[in-house]
Amino acid sequence: MEFANLLLIRLLQTILVIWVVVSIVFIFSRMIGNPETSLLPFDATNEDYERIRERLGLNDPMIVQYGRFIGDAVQGDLGYSFHRTGAALDIVAGKVLGTVKLTAAGLVVALGLGLPLGVFAALRRGSPLDWLARLIAVFGQATPSFWLGLMLIFFLATKVSWFPTAGSAGFRSLILPAFALGLLSAAGFMRLTRSGMIDVMSTDFIRTARAKGLTERTVILRHGLRHALIPVMTILGIELGRLIAGSVIIEVVFSWPGIGRLMIESILQSDYPTVQAGLVVIAASITLGNLIVDMSYRVIDPRIRMAAL
Amino acid sequence: MAAQVAAPTAEVAASPRWRLTHRWRRYLLVLPPLTVMIAFVVCGIFADLIAPGDPGDTNLLDRLEPPVFSGGTSEYPLGTDHVGRDIWTRVVHGAQVSLIVVLTVVPGAAAFGTMIGMFAGWRGGVVGQLLMRYVDVQLALPAILFAVLLGAVLGASLWNVILILLIWTWTVYARLIRAEVLSLKEREFVVASLAAGASNWWIMRKQLLPNVFNTIVVIMTLEIPIVIVAEASLSFLGVGAPVEQATWGRMISEARNYLTHAWWVMWMPGLALMLVALSGNLVGDWLRDLLDPRLRNLG
Repeated sequence: MEFANLLLIRLLQTILVIWVVVSIVFIFSRMIGNPETSLLPFDATNEDYERIRERLGLNDPMIVQYGRFIGDAVQGDLGYSFHRTGAALDIVAGKVLGTVKLTAAGLVVALGLGLPLGVFAALRRGSPLDWLARLIAVFGQATPSFWLGLMLIFFLATKVSWFPTAGSAGFRSLILPAFALGLLSAAGFMRLTRSGMIDVMSTDFIRTARAKGLTERTVILRHGLRHALIPVMTILGIELGRLIAGSVIIEVVFSWPGIGRLMIESILQSDYPTVQAGLVVIAASITLGNLIVDMSYRVIDPRIRMAAL
Repeated sequence: MAAQVAAPTAEVAASPRWRLTHRWRRYLLVLPPLTVMIAFVVCGIFADLIAPGDPGDTNLLDRLEPPVFSGGTSEYPLGTDHVGRDIWTRVVHGAQVSLIVVLTVVPGAAAFGTMIGMFAGWRGGVVGQLLMRYVDVQLALPAILFAVLLGAVLGASLWNVILILLIWTWTVYARLIRAEVLSLKEREFVVASLAAGASNWWIMRKQLLPNVFNTIVVIMTLEIPIVIVAEASLSFLGVGAPVEQATWGRMISEARNYLTHAWWVMWMPGLALMLVALSGNLVGDWLRDLLDPRLRNLG
């Protein structure tokens, strides 16, 4: 019952977040920007401007425009793209798969690199592997992702042609962007896993498990890692959001067809409806991703199931 | 990282010799990044002395000249780019742009965020709640997208970049300072001051601010590399400072087409950016461990 209440509150929060996003986008694009100037050629007359303002409803009071905008948005209508043909939401929807693929691959890299490195670094403290892991953590956290992506392209796509420099042709072209995207999160996961494992491995129940005669493998994986994973779970939602946000710039670097690149292009073309739709989709997926991670985490760890938001 | 050197056992830690070597090791480890940061600041302040000449000056006859250590001439120490601009001059002036952004955004965001955080923590109320909800929403969303949107709407200018980064970063301070003030509020000395009839203003100035000061300094240090990278990202995406200004992000972005046959065009600004970001992080970590170890899980 309490769980259902919690879920309801979180769902309401999600809706609130999306409403704020939609409103911010409205303010940015309507009150500061001039959508009509991006639609007309340079030599357009004042009558042309007046006509298009009338047609787009830009002459109405701001509050009326806002009401109409929200009303349409609730019905899933975010307007038509200025530069491409079709509804803005449809155009964005066509790019969702690309971003999902990239983000998922980034998450795989982050977890696949962060967790094992963290465990090994914790078990062999002070060893060369531990130093390597820390080095990766420091570099991963400090290197701007677009620069990391360009370095990967430079070394692995132009010096030796192991991977394509850009595009989305097959699995091979996914590896470099996924790595450039996932390294920052991998550093975070690694640090948490390492400190979690160090704490857990000195507790009594690990000693008991060893005393029972369990193999070291079982002790580490079933007793140790399980506990060390709890803090990792807590930041999974945040990291997922970071990956989705980070995919924007990575998509630009690698010419990857996704929402991020679409949005950057649309922003530079003043194609506001497409930008609006893209922001709403990204914000919605981040908050929903957070919600799912948060809820599943409460199911996995009963101790905090009923804890406050 | 230096602080995570193996935890000593009690008696070893107590021995003066260990303490001495441990402390020296930490100072030695922070020396290289500190040097880089100092060099960055010096380059930024004295850009016109270190690299005289206009960073925008083109020379189409000397396009894509290699750097001096790779077969070039000393006329262009770090080579030239695709329109014959001197990369050394541009990298140094790029440092100036980064420094201006850091010196305005970091203190500005700290002042604003601290004010909001103190207000929300001390007075709270509906306004405080609303402010914090807004902070939550902003922190949960990809700042880069809003920044690019705002940058495109406002147009290219350094002031707009500064404004965008201020909006982008003040929330971190607000959230952490509010949390600190909330716990300080319950402490005896604050309660005692209230009972003695101290004014809100006096408590904020004399009791709250000194107690959150370390936190502010630590966040400010940690924000320096973040702001530098954010500025570079905006320039890289083409919504940063205007074209006349040499910025590392724009230099890297323009160099992408010459990746294969003129590596230095991309690597010089890229290395500068990476070195400064890395050093800023290391110095920040060090300062945080020195001033306020409780904040270790912040970054």
